[in-house]
Amino acid sequence: MSAIDVRVEDVWKQYRLGTGGKADAFWALREIALEVPRGASLGIIGRNGAGKSTLFKLLAGITAPTRGRITIEGRLAALIEVGSGFHPELTGRENVFLSGAILGMRRREIAAKLDRIVAFAGVERFIDTPVKWYSSGMYVRLGFAIAAHLEPDVLLVDEVLAVGDAEFQVKCLERIRHLQSVGTTNLFISHDLSAVERLCDRAILLEGGAIVASGPARDVVASYHRRLTFPPAAPDQPDGATETGAVLTNLAVHDPGQPDGLTLRTGQPIAIAIRYLATRPLTGVEFELRYYSVDGTTCLAAPRTGEHGERLDLRPPGGVVEFACDVLPLKPGGYYVGAVIRDVSTSKVLAWWDGETRVFVEPGPATRGELYIPHRWRLIHADDVSVPLPASGAPPA
Amino acid sequence: MSRPITVYEPAALRRVRPLAALAHLRDHADLLITLSQHRIKVRYKQSRLGILWAVVQPLAMMLVFTLVFGFLRSAPSGATPFPLFAYAALIPWTMFASGVTNASGALTSHASLLTKAYFPREILPLTYVVAALVDFALASLLLGLLMAWFGVAPTWTALWAVPAIALLAVLLIGLGLFLSALQVRVRDVALAMPVLIQVWLFATPVIYPLDTVRAALPPWLYALYVMNPMAGIVDTFRRAVVLHQGPDVQALVTAAVVTVLIAPAAYVYFTVTERTVADVV
Repeated sequence: MSAIDVRVEDVWKQYRLGTGGKADAFWALREIALEVPRGASLGIIGRNGAGKSTLFKLLAGITAPTRGRITIEGRLAALIEVGSGFHPELTGRENVFLSGAILGMRRREIAAKLDRIVAFAGVERFIDTPVKWYSSGMYVRLGFAIAAHLEPDVLLVDEVLAVGDAEFQVKCLERIRHLQSVGTTNLFISHDLSAVERLCDRAILLEGGAIVASGPARDVVASYHRRLTFPPAAPDQPDGATETGAVLTNLAVHDPGQPDGLTLRTGQPIAIAIRYLATRPLTGVEFELRYYSVDGTTCLAAPRTGEHGERLDLRPPGGVVEFACDVLPLKPGGYYVGAVIRDVSTSKVLAWWDGETRVFVEPGPATRGELYIPHRWRLIHADDVSVPLPASGAPPA
Repeated sequence: MSRPITVYEPAALRRVRPLAALAHLRDHADLLITLSQHRIKVRYKQSRLGILWAVVQPLAMMLVFTLVFGFLRSAPSGATPFPLFAYAALIPWTMFASGVTNASGALTSHASLLTKAYFPREILPLTYVVAALVDFALASLLLGLLMAWFGVAPTWTALWAVPAIALLAVLLIGLGLFLSALQVRVRDVALAMPVLIQVWLFATPVIYPLDTVRAALPPWLYALYVMNPMAGIVDTFRRAVVLHQGPDVQALVTAAVVTVLIAPAAYVYFTVTERTVADVV
């Protein structure tokens, strides 16, 4: 039985929105209880606004809980980008000492690690230059490098993979893995679900300030996907009576090739089931799907049932249509999926599902760029360089 | 190996533990030193005059007051040369004025730091008190030169300067803690500071001697006047260094009592509010 390094007991956190006497109270965290044994790694996931950052601030001691108690055994360090503590007039070297001290390091310790910190950040040439002349990348890397060289008993990581370029992120991951290997207790707060799956044994899922799932990291990540794709906030709408005669009541995205069907990956099959109600017979309609990226742009051409002129007739009380695609072309990331029913002859939209369904696409086959295209390769004329290539633009003979 | 145990709970009066907080502060002594050093470095780094700026403010005020009283032909300094009389009071006064102004903004000016990392928050106002002490030491060098110029040698009474400055440092810590925490919630503090400091200057025996006040006011009003702890502090320092006199006991004792009452109250207020300062700063 190992010791518990982080113990959170019935913690609540209230913020007051607005100012003065008429401020609205708002519970950012409710009834949070968790324990992290020594040497374990816990992932904390959830949407924006679910309370992840608040929990981070409480664990780091930045602010106090409104109720409850947090007990931390050991020296805790928060792996954050501390560039905000930099003073622009001071040199990189002076700022390393300043930021190191802010993070609780002794001067002697910083002096001993200075060369490694500077090399980690890749700013050797500029270490005696005031940081106001640094590029934003150098600034962030140096800030992060200081935090990365703490040797804590308990490590708190907030969105580590949002910092720096790919090479720097690899360095950070290696550093985290090293700390894990020497028995550091870890807490990761992240949007990067695959990183949480890889780095953590267990995870908790926050929603609306409360823990809604906890357990092995894979299960909690799957549960998160389930909540994203089948949002509990959008159950089947019971009442289908509309003027147009049709209504879309649910839209579910899944991977038909997977046992649980919940993890979508680039290059894997995808199926989308759309439930509709019809209050009267409708003739000559089509369904259309729309994908939006999280920034709101429509990012995929809209596949229609009537692409080749087919028309559907809908009868009461309604039913389900399925869209299936063998190869999901979307790159990893978050998307919204919407759908409409349209009258083909008038182009009038009869019903719509307006982007309430969120999907999260995980990495599949390696992709760079925006889309993955289904493809195959074959080797032709392995031993003959004289064969003429087909003319560009024309299909090969 | 024993591990430190940290407990985070809601801020409450019954959880104020000054001894534990002092031990915690000692653990972060390196931060206090580094931050104070940088505070001083940054201030003078890009200026041409560098550390001479520590002397410029009290020196400029001394020259202005000397000119004014020169025109009026009525310097209230008795046998002592007025420039020396004024400067000896202006250096503790400047330490107070710049220390309390800077320290009161210590939390609001570090908002991004307060919301990103945890360290004992009292360090921020404390660094400004340290910086003010360093400026005071630099400005004192010029006091030495002025004394040599006017041929005034220090006597054993100069030792009274030590408790006076120690008292001033404690007063600055108390006011710095209180005002910095108050300013997070009441931003008017920043706007009120310049007015407050200006009025406070004339309510303190800087350009006039304390004896004049004692002679002019009825005893009860004088007792009220010396409730301003700066009265006893500034007067004790000046008497000790350039007038070769021991302190006005009533003024110094009152200053000490007021300071000793302010400091713990300010500390408690600071501790209770600082735990959630990151939420509102």
